[in-house]
Amino acid sequence: MPSSLQFQIECRPDFSLLAVQLKQGEKIFAEPAAMASMSPQITLQAGLKGGALKSLGRMLGGESLIVNTFTATNGPGEILFAPGHLGDTHHYQLSGGAVLLQRGAYLASSEGVDVSAQWQGAKGFFSGEGLVLLKASGTGDLFFNSYGAILEIDVRDQFIVDSGYIVAFEDTLQYNIGLLPGLRGGGFKRLFFSGEGLVCRFSGEGRIWIQTRHLAPYLSWIHAFRPSSSS
Amino acid sequence: MHFEMLCRPAATAVRYTLDRGESITCEVGAMVAMTTGLTVSTTSKSRGGGGGIVKGLKRMFSGENFFLNHFTSQEDQQTLVIAPTMMGDCRHHRLSGGTMIVQGSSWLASSGEIEIDTTWQGFTSALFSGESMFWVRCSGRGDLFLSSYGAIYAVPVSGQYTVDTGHIVAFEETLRYRIGKASPSLIGSFLGGEGLVCKFEGQGLLYCQSHNAPSLGKLLGPKLKPR
Repeated sequence: MPSSLQFQIECRPDFSLLAVQLKQGEKIFAEPAAMASMSPQITLQAGLKGGALKSLGRMLGGESLIVNTFTATNGPGEILFAPGHLGDTHHYQLSGGAVLLQRGAYLASSEGVDVSAQWQGAKGFFSGEGLVLLKASGTGDLFFNSYGAILEIDVRDQFIVDSGYIVAFEDTLQYNIGLLPGLRGGGFKRLFFSGEGLVCRFSGEGRIWIQTRHLAPYLSWIHAFRPSSSS
Repeated sequence: MHFEMLCRPAATAVRYTLDRGESITCEVGAMVAMTTGLTVSTTSKSRGGGGGIVKGLKRMFSGENFFLNHFTSQEDQQTLVIAPTMMGDCRHHRLSGGTMIVQGSSWLASSGEIEIDTTWQGFTSALFSGESMFWVRCSGRGDLFLSSYGAIYAVPVSGQYTVDTGHIVAFEETLRYRIGKASPSLIGSFLGGEGLVCKFEGQGLLYCQSHNAPSLGKLLGPKLKPR
């Protein structure tokens, strides 16, 4: 019988830090480089989490979902996880349903949660790349993070979100990714994939989590300061 | 039109509630989420030259266009959430016939009858450091939304006030200004805008930001591969 992990999310909403206290023998899986600090009872094993993710390698163009496994081998212990971005972290309790996440949003999950990749295909995308979503299902704790703050929205009918700002959503929702007529994306977006005017239309009922900042505009802002190669 | 500031102060977003016929204009890339009863169009304005030439940096903004997304509500009670690029805050300023000069990267949105002029070149004649900044002149009646890198603070100038140019978010056109070195004894390269400040004089409102985005850009830029 899987029990919930004991955890606190501290320093919200801008510098969130996830503190997890593991009982002897308990495990948690996390994205690489997420571990900020841990007590000596915890052992870390790097690498793929089980056979379920074998097919990922090819789907993500050679990239697989690599997770590290933390086990409280030598007694109860604590681990502090920090996401790469300045932002918030959210906990979701999975019990049979599923949550879809943007690839960079995955932080950590407990045993009993299965994480696989969902490829959104190349239909209608300029660069031929698609939106890579992860699907978390099963029973247990899921932790996801944002760049910027997280806004939680209950969708009752329809809602449109710019694809770069999606953190996660419940799979009870139908979603459709495409261009929004008339909407132009930020200046140099075509250089850093997030799509020009690419939005995700949600319909049905379910919860979505969106972030209030995203990396591509920041990268395109920095781009303007890069030296010119002709100088 | 109603608005609400969310997630302050470091990752602030603005949520608008619009009724049929109401509209708002935002910088491109600002749209985070919206309900389906809004239509969008894109307009562009020619951007004023960035002024000056700094060795090694191209004139980034000269001749380029400033694109705007214009959202119009076709139904009542529609929602639009927008957010700026940088980590920081947003501020609302009600314009009632006056004029605000806004730093280009701090202009987030405006509604009502605000005229947006992107060819203002008031600073560029004096500066070498205009590369990374352009200015938007906003006049008329309506709501102006500003964003900042870091925190935003208002200074009601009455007399004199000096601000590093990268820390200016916006100021009322009633203020007189002069660009110069912070101090005559300041040693350092003039090129690249080091030590350049704007000395304001007169009466008017000035918005400043706690952090200096152009400085950060100039710090990071040279460390990146040339484009």
